[in-house]
Formats: sequence, structure tokens, C-alpha cells
Amino acid sequence: MPVVRIAFATNKGGLDDTLADRFGRAPTFTIVEVDTDTGEVKKVEVIENPGYRAGSGAGVKAAQALGDHGAKVYVGPNPGPNATAALQYLGVKVIPLTGATVREALAKALEELKQQ
Amino acid sequence: MPRSVIGVTGGKGGTGKSFVATNLAVLLARRGLSLVLADLDVEAPNDHLLLGVERLENEEPIEVFFPFIDYGKCTACGACAKACDTGAIVMAKGRPPMVMPRLCSGCRACLMVCPYKAIAEDGARVMGYSYVTPVKLSGAGFTLVTGVLREGEEHTPPAIVAAKRRALRVAENADLLIVDTGAGTGNGISAALQETSLVIAVTEPTPMGLHDLAAILEITKGMGKRTWVVVNRSGLGPEDKHLELARKHGVERVFRIPFSKTAALAYARGVPLVDYDPHDPAAEALQGLAEEVYREVA
Repeated sequence: MPVVRIAFATNKGGLDDTLADRFGRAPTFTIVEVDTDTGEVKKVEVIENPGYRAGSGAGVKAAQALGDHGAKVYVGPNPGPNATAALQYLGVKVIPLTGATVREALAKALEELKQQ
Repeated sequence: MPRSVIGVTGGKGGTGKSFVATNLAVLLARRGLSLVLADLDVEAPNDHLLLGVERLENEEPIEVFFPFIDYGKCTACGACAKACDTGAIVMAKGRPPMVMPRLCSGCRACLMVCPYKAIAEDGARVMGYSYVTPVKLSGAGFTLVTGVLREGEEHTPPAIVAAKRRALRVAENADLLIVDTGAGTGNGISAALQETSLVIAVTEPTPMGLHDLAAILEITKGMGKRTWVVVNRSGLGPEDKHLELARKHGVERVFRIPFSKTAALAYARGVPLVDYDPHDPAAEALQGLAEEVYREVA
């Protein structure tokens, strides 16, 4: 898969932001369109997470948002059980990671995707 | 409908809601009222334990609506997922939706918006159980209705409402239905209190008791309910702010149940305090409260 959309759970969003510490209630998602062969970033998009202020079902609403934006990979803290089921159904691969910037996380994700 | 419905609530957990409700039920049944006690603390119902009841009887499942999707009719239009407020329906482009049972509150919004009638109208799932158990006491008895939510369920109100409806049916010709709610001030609590004409808010002389009393009194005031306050474990700490709060919220009466080690012992043994030691000061305070409730409803 050369060009893929990878979603990162973020606070303010953007390549220099650090990963958020939770999935369902992360304030934003940074979606990076990237060529997995060359590592070239084609597009960076920051979306608001509908789960951030949701009354209930935050994780599933967040998962739905990733699916709607065409993300095929998610990088960030581990989603809960409901969100994990939703991501699986939506065909979004989960790469658990915390304590990194989006740029660092992107490098790790590309490494991991190459190994498969 | 029963002749009277009163609620026992309080906001904070552990203030003694069930303690007050069970002892009131025992005393008022002995006073000659035909009585039903509904334990609507569906996440942790334990009135039966406080009454020494060993097992709950007459189990019935609590069924709530659940969207079963006819994949022959579904066009994956996504209307149901958009209408779902609890995030229970997930849509992948061009594929039929996936429904997550435990996030579904059974509200039927998806059923109403589906343009293709692809959702079965009579789909249901079991989210809990209700029980009707006779409680036998020396001198009198009453009926205990208990609602129990299944583990892992995310929405209490549908189970609370279902158990309450069963209690109302059981209590149809009764003098009094006492509704014992769980802790908190969520939708489930106001749903439990809907039919009550008098609410007893149990609090304790602690900062937490004060904080949560403020929250529950906002609810009872907002619902236009006549409200009494019971300060349980009275003597443990200052109560002046509780009293001021009660005044501000138009609470009609304030009762005190003194702190009592004997009450804790009776509680730990699953014997109503008024039976364990009827002369304990806390038991006497409960008798005083019961007498006032009796005057209200008899």
C-alpha cells in the first residue's frame, strides 16, 4: 500500500504535537497521508474528535470519525474494548504508542508497516 | 397505582438510603400498611441483604429494544448511525452497520429514521432482571421488588424504569410503594422518583454528604417534589450547612438519626436495626420518622 492515511490521537494536532494520552477523549486526530514506500508526507489534516465531548460512546464515535476520514491505521494510546471492536469492523489497524511526537510516531508507524 | 408512592434517595453513596428505606418498610408494614419496597439501585441492589432475605424470587428478564438489522433490506445509507446518540451504531462506507449491544440504550431512534424499514420493530435484548420477593417478618410482611442490571451494561435508566413498572404493578392495590434509588443524580434517579409524591433525601454530616445533598435537592426541586431530609449518622460533624441548604431548597422537614455503633452492627449482620435493637437511639429516630410517614400516607 503506497499511499495510506494514518491517524494519530493528538491534543492540538499537527506533526509537532505530542500524542494524546487517550483515544476516545483525545481532543483531535491528526491524519497524515503518507507514501509508505518513500515516507513522503502528502497531506496533514487535523480533525476534531466527536468523542471528545460526547456523553457516552466516546471511543466508538472517535472510531467512526477515523473510518469516515478514510484512515487505515491508527497510532496512539490503546482504545477501549468497544472502540477496538469498532476499529476492527472499520478496517483500521491499531499501532499502540504513547509519549512521542506525531513526527516520531509516524516514523515508527512506517517502520512497523514495512515489516508486514 | 398504589395509594401513595414515596422515594428514598440522597445523591451520595453510603449515606444510608437503603438503611432508611428497609427500616421504614419494616416499621410501616408492622403499622398495618400493605407495602411494597422497590430496590431500584440496579447496579448494586442490596435491600434484600439488609432484610436478611437469602434469595430473590420470581425472576423476570428486563428486555429493551435492540435494532436487529435485515441485511436484505439495508442499503447502508447510514441514517441509523447518524441518529444514534449513544454511539452504538458504527458504519463503514458501503457496508451494513455494526451495532454494539452494550452501548445501545434501546431508544428506538434508529428504528424511526430507517427509510427502508430494515430494522425489526420487535427486536429486544435482556439487559437485566427483576424480582418479586415476599419478606416475612414477625408480626407483618411486605413485598420486595428488586431490579438488577447485567454486568457491563452502560445504561441504567431502562432497567430502572422496567423494575419500577413491575413494582407499580405489584403495588397496584397497596397502601404504599417505597422507591429506594441508587446513588447519584443521573437520569435513572429522576426516572425512579417520577411517581413519588414525597421524597426523603438521606445525607450525612460530612463535606461529601453536603455536596451531594445540594445536587439531589436541585433535582427534587426541579421536579417539584415535596422533600424531607434525613441527616443520618448525626453527631459526626457539623450540620449547619446542611440545614441552610435544606431551607434554601424549600425542604419541608429535617430528621436526624444519631450516629450509632449498634446500627453498624445490625447492618453488618443483615438485620434491620429496628429489630436488632428497637431501643437504640437510632432505631427510635427511625420509629419517629416512620410515624411521620405513616401520618402522611394513612
